[in-house]
Amino acid sequence: MFDTIPEFVTVAQQTTGSSPAITPKSAAALAVGLAALAAGYAERGIGSAAVGAIAEDQDLFGTGLILTVLPETLVILALVVVFVVPSAF
Amino acid sequence: MSVYGSANYEYVVARVRHRRASLFSDDEYRKLLRMGTGEIARFMEETQYEDAVNALGSRFSGVDLVEHALNETLAEDFQDLLRYSEGRLYEQVVRYLRKFDAWNVKTVLRGLYSGATDEEVRSDLIDAGEFEDAFLDRLVAAESIESVVELLDGTRFETYLDSAFEAYEESGTLVPLENAVDRAYYENLVPDESARGEAAQLYREFLEAEIDFRNVRNALRLARSGADVDPAEYFIDGGALFDRKEVGQLVADRSTLVTRIRERKYGDELSKALDELEDAESLIGFEHALDRALLEYSDHLSYVYPLSVCPVLAYVLAKEREVDNIRAIARGREAGLSEAEIEEELVIL
Repeated sequence: MFDTIPEFVTVAQQTTGSSPAITPKSAAALAVGLAALAAGYAERGIGSAAVGAIAEDQDLFGTGLILTVLPETLVILALVVVFVVPSAF
Repeated sequence: MSVYGSANYEYVVARVRHRRASLFSDDEYRKLLRMGTGEIARFMEETQYEDAVNALGSRFSGVDLVEHALNETLAEDFQDLLRYSEGRLYEQVVRYLRKFDAWNVKTVLRGLYSGATDEEVRSDLIDAGEFEDAFLDRLVAAESIESVVELLDGTRFETYLDSAFEAYEESGTLVPLENAVDRAYYENLVPDESARGEAAQLYREFLEAEIDFRNVRNALRLARSGADVDPAEYFIDGGALFDRKEVGQLVADRSTLVTRIRERKYGDELSKALDELEDAESLIGFEHALDRALLEYSDHLSYVYPLSVCPVLAYVLAKEREVDNIRAIARGREAGLSEAEIEEELVIL
């Protein structure tokens, strides 16, 4: 019965080694998703303020648009992570 | 619109800030000072008062046109604020704008007392408060002061007015009634302690400042006039500066009153005004300095806490000031005052 233990351990090590719970790529994807969520939250406030300003003065459309999409840079930076992370170790 | 739930501070504050920035500036006031009443109306046509001036232009002219256009725009502007705001913000703004209910009730009472016609009274009402149009019409149509008091049964003014009406019947002057209306407004203004959170705290701070300033003004006016009335009766609860007992002693001795204000919370904001009071001995100058100090304080609050009700209230104050200023210019022009005399009446930041 005790002979099987070393064999079992090797098998267990092999399974954890070859397929981890989260692969690097899916971790990177999660990072992008979280960043997008945060950007969306930031844009909520800026967007409503921008619409308020545009309603008062049409000329503020350009400024409002730029300020609204600024947090979008968060997602772009997070997207870089996907390319930096290798597909497998 | 729901009273509870989140508030859309970002949207409302952005709109309000834009409007605040497009209020008349120093230069524009200086231009207005050199104009006649007709020119003032024409000048207003090119600003945010355009719609009102155009709509009323066929019915009125000169000072009347200016006056009606001002009232109309003011009411519309504040109705807009209510339309934009949601949730907690709406609740706070509507509470503050009940100021105009108090103003309307006072105007109706004064109109009846002085025997003005219904039409004159109606045109002076500002339709920005909680009372509906139809209710205001009924108030205006009331035959006597007693029936106005009866009409107001069931509103916030009821308890205050009932006791004041007896005092009115004894003395025959309007002062007790007007005072009761003011107190009904101010004492219901500050939300009770149960409202927690930063937003409620700020709101309270702003309103306390306003009540304090009002108390200071009342106390000084009483001290100045030397009238034989108990200042505690005219005291509005809810401020942070003094309490009902103190005010009686302070009014009797003006220099202690001034030192007292200087030592307290608003000492910095008011120091200029207080200096002016000590030098000039003129109450009008001091009152304008008080107005200016309150404006500055509200602006200060609105920059320190941008996402709160403060910018909205600061805008309401500034807009009211602007309307008062333009009215002062138009009226002063009509009465033939000199530029310097009118300028003294203006409150410009």
